[in-house]
Amino acid sequence: MTKKTQIKPPMEIYYKEELEVLKKTDKAKKPENWQMSPQAVRTFILGSKTPISYKGKEYLIEKKYLGNDALVERCIVTLAGNRGLMLVGEPGTAKTMLSELLSAAISGVSTNTIQGTAGTTEDMIKYSWNYALLIANGPSREALVPSPLYVGMEQGILTRFEEITRTPAEIQDSLISVLSDKVLNVPELGDDGILFAKHGFNVIGTANTRDKGVNEMSSALKRRFNFETVMPVRDVRLEKQIIINEVQKLAKENKIEMEVDEDAAELLASTYHELREGVSSMGHMIDKPTAVMSTAEAVSVYYQSMISAYYYGACSIEPACLVDNLTGAVAKETTDDLKKVKAYFCTVVKDKAGKEGGLWKEYYEAGKKIK
Amino acid sequence: MEGILRSREEDQIISDLMKEACNPENPIMFFPVRHHSPACSYHLLKTLDKYQPDCILIEGPENANHLISVMTEKETEAPFAIYYFYRDKKGYIDKEKGDYKCYYPFLDYSPELIGMRYGRIHKIPTMFIDLPYSEILIASKQGSRLLKQDEKNNYNDDYLLSSNLYIKNLCEKAGVRNFDEFWEKYFEIHGIYETTQNFIKQMLTHCYLSRSNTKKEELEKEGCLSREIYMAEHILKQKINYQKILVITGGFHTFGLWKLLKEKQTYKIHTIEDSMQGAYLMAYSMEAADALNGYASGMPYPGFYQKIWEAICDKIEKPYEETVLSSIIATGKAVRRKEGGISAFDEICAFQMAKGLAALRNKKEAGAFDLYDCILSSFIKGEVCISTEMPLILLQEIMTGNEIGVLSELADMPPIIKDFQKICAEFKLKIASTVEQEITLQLFSSEKHKKISEFFHQMAFLEETDFVKKVRGPNLKTKRDKNLIREIWKYRWSTRIFAGLTDVSVYGGTVREACQNLVNEKMKKLTSSQEAAMLFTEAFEMNLSEQRWELLKNTRQILMGDSDFFSLSAALSYFMMLLELSELYQVELNMKELITICTRKLFVLLPSMGNVKEEDSERCIDALKNIYNIMQEKQFLEDKELFFDSLEALLLKEDGNSNSCVIGCVMGLLYGSGRLLEASIERMGTGFLSGTRSMEGARFFRGLFSCARDIIFGGNTLISIIDSMIRNTENERFMELLPDLRLAFAYFTPSETDKIAKKAAALYGKTKKELMDLKEVLPMEYSYGKSLDDFALKYLEV
Repeated sequence: MTKKTQIKPPMEIYYKEELEVLKKTDKAKKPENWQMSPQAVRTFILGSKTPISYKGKEYLIEKKYLGNDALVERCIVTLAGNRGLMLVGEPGTAKTMLSELLSAAISGVSTNTIQGTAGTTEDMIKYSWNYALLIANGPSREALVPSPLYVGMEQGILTRFEEITRTPAEIQDSLISVLSDKVLNVPELGDDGILFAKHGFNVIGTANTRDKGVNEMSSALKRRFNFETVMPVRDVRLEKQIIINEVQKLAKENKIEMEVDEDAAELLASTYHELREGVSSMGHMIDKPTAVMSTAEAVSVYYQSMISAYYYGACSIEPACLVDNLTGAVAKETTDDLKKVKAYFCTVVKDKAGKEGGLWKEYYEAGKKIK
Repeated sequence: MEGILRSREEDQIISDLMKEACNPENPIMFFPVRHHSPACSYHLLKTLDKYQPDCILIEGPENANHLISVMTEKETEAPFAIYYFYRDKKGYIDKEKGDYKCYYPFLDYSPELIGMRYGRIHKIPTMFIDLPYSEILIASKQGSRLLKQDEKNNYNDDYLLSSNLYIKNLCEKAGVRNFDEFWEKYFEIHGIYETTQNFIKQMLTHCYLSRSNTKKEELEKEGCLSREIYMAEHILKQKINYQKILVITGGFHTFGLWKLLKEKQTYKIHTIEDSMQGAYLMAYSMEAADALNGYASGMPYPGFYQKIWEAICDKIEKPYEETVLSSIIATGKAVRRKEGGISAFDEICAFQMAKGLAALRNKKEAGAFDLYDCILSSFIKGEVCISTEMPLILLQEIMTGNEIGVLSELADMPPIIKDFQKICAEFKLKIASTVEQEITLQLFSSEKHKKISEFFHQMAFLEETDFVKKVRGPNLKTKRDKNLIREIWKYRWSTRIFAGLTDVSVYGGTVREACQNLVNEKMKKLTSSQEAAMLFTEAFEMNLSEQRWELLKNTRQILMGDSDFFSLSAALSYFMMLLELSELYQVELNMKELITICTRKLFVLLPSMGNVKEEDSERCIDALKNIYNIMQEKQFLEDKELFFDSLEALLLKEDGNSNSCVIGCVMGLLYGSGRLLEASIERMGTGFLSGTRSMEGARFFRGLFSCARDIIFGGNTLISIIDSMIRNTENERFMELLPDLRLAFAYFTPSETDKIAKKAAALYGKTKKELMDLKEVLPMEYSYGKSLDDFALKYLEV
């Protein structure tokens, strides 16, 4: 599938050019089997301050992960070491995006992924069999269906394990020996059944801490990982920037020719930030909704509003539409959350409308509809 | 330093500065420093050896020059601080005529201390050259750092090097999270690998750019320009006497001083009496020196950098790497001791992480920030939160350090310490040992014990000294154990006592005087009568009667400005307690005026108390009963009438929305005073219970019985009212009323309850005995019986 036909191309395809430039111009030492040096991986994710010259052209590497630079650095160093990397935190804090970026930069591929669910079994993590071949020829490497973990070990690339805590604890534990010994035993293959991991192999796990239905990890497995807690963005300006960047990317991917309205993005960033933190910029104390108020949710609300405006409206973001999508996004688990949002409009938004007028006023008027 | 944000013009200035200001060939050489910096100290030592000065001048208020000899004594061990104080009695600063104090801390790796110690060893005259502390304050403008009285001020002005737009851009460009990380990377870690000349050049560049990005108004506000004029004047004066002068100042001032040397300006200082200002040496702690503890200025993690400095002195090849490793091991050990779970492999991973981060961040060695990151990544298992952050807390403790300085015996002590020692000797308190001592004081039978108790209360009030702790005895602040006649105290000598006393020495020359001034100081900041009364109670325990007028005046002002009924009534209760105890405690504090202010204010507020919230009912009732009891005293005969008038005014305001519990209580009080007839109360009770506000009826009785239990025994009417209410209330509704009804009857003694039961039984023609013989009917049985009755009745009607 080419980039053009994919809804969401993987990072290594989306940033192919940048990765190419960094690989070719990278002069620092590379850990074995890494596509580029840790310094270049850092530059790929955190951007370059000055343009990089390559084949007569200047390339300014875009900053892709906004937030905690030190966290990214720790992740890179962890992946070059003995332990796996576990990204934990609230939903919507760009853990998956970060793991994709790391995989794309280090191994050149971000799709070697296990999707953790309650139904994940050990053979999905290690290997399974093509039963037709197994019956016809007996156990052989050809009959073996490798899992992403197997592929990672075999090729010396990173394996991503998404939502690891959704899988049952005993299934998670099948990773323990692989991560400590870097060996996977396939007894059915006899003497040829020992797979030693190549240099470059490691595991990036992601886990939500707030979702319902997650399983606690065993201490033994925890010891095999370095943990990084990805916090929600604390700076409203940064949150606004993330909304703008991500919406622009989505719009471009889906050929929506509409500019991102910075004021509307700011409005949404403030709303999400204030509802998440429980205090407004004017000092109001706010009841926090139980629903996840992540930046990713804010991006989704803006993008939904953008689609509505593009296909059914006048190509401009309407506050009423923002409010509709916002309430839809918040009212997931309890109706109490809706009351909290309504109270937020009746106090904070009302005061801001009085003070700043303009879009805030329209936003407040639209908020009156919330029931 | 990667030539960040520099222009050609600036390069020229730096080059000139290197040639003229920081040239070892010149008769005056400036050495720019950051106040607590191992790298600066390292290069300063080299410079001192190379330059061989015959005079060392150091940035620091000159009125501490006499302390240099003690500071460089062998017995004096860092951390210690110069404590400066100034009493602005002439109002040079402002009309407030306040007291000011600040600290100038020194650590083993402070370049200034290195300079002083070098001077002592090589017999080179060493002196401070800055304006006296009082003059710095006078030269500063309102809002400046040193004039902020609420903060623990630090003379150190390194903040000028770390907080401006230039620094912000610099950190952003260098990809570091804050200035401290920037400084550590480029000056501390890389600094020790540089030649001294390069290091000075980089310092000059950074400091010059910081200065040129600081507004002139800011410099004026902080008194920087005045200080520099004075320092330059001082340097020029010494130039006459010496051939080679090394000037050690904050790098921020180098450019200004260099320019001023050519201008030859003079600065006139005020004549201030010696008793109004002074400087003492005090033992300091690493904890206090840590910039992260809010003491501002200076570098964070003093314990970590102390180890770095020791490693540099021991000529260890990689001092940072060695210290990071030892800190990882120490943290691992501390975590294992606390909660276990950290293995040697975790420590190996952490060290690898620190080294990896250093390489990724282009550092020659891993530093404090990489150490923090490696512990965060390798020691914390799971999401960072309160339950998992223990390794970080322990690391922070290790990086801060726990050393406390020691002063030479030659160190001059503030008068308050001498007073403390005198009192301890007078009362034969054992302060020669650090073993905890216990003493029992007979409060009212021994004059000496009473005096010791007052002294202990004073020392306990000066919390920072951490000298005494009351184990048992009357606690007037909490109004507990007032009947006890003995106090048991534990006290223990520690170095913190001197530090704590020095800290409060600005408030007075004796322990008592310091307490008096501190009480008044605290009192001025209070707004609540209750808090004021509690502080007043502490003053009472300390027997600070010498300044009673000042104390009374301040307390009076707070009472006048307070309109909170509860706070005033709590204050009244405190003052009444103190009034009762004043004779016993032999304290001359006239509380009568304060009590009168409280009562008059309470009477004004009383009529509006009918509308207090339900959750405040109990507090309100207690307050009303308390005032009622106070009004029974002979001395309040006049006020008593005013009180009852206020209660009547409260009743008149009853508008259907009033708090029925408070109304009940007020009616009870008026009934008790004979101002209200039983019939009125019965009418009110019937009204509540028979209308739609039956819920409030129960609360009304709760309030009523809280202060007028006897009313129920006067006749049978009240019991009949309650009985009829119980009879006519639906089961469900009754269950709602029950908690308040139970509370209402909780005020009665068991024998009174018995009497009430007897009266209730009589209503149905039963005797007490018959009532007691009745078998208890379970709610379920009763409910079943009632439904049967209802069914039968319905069937019969049909």
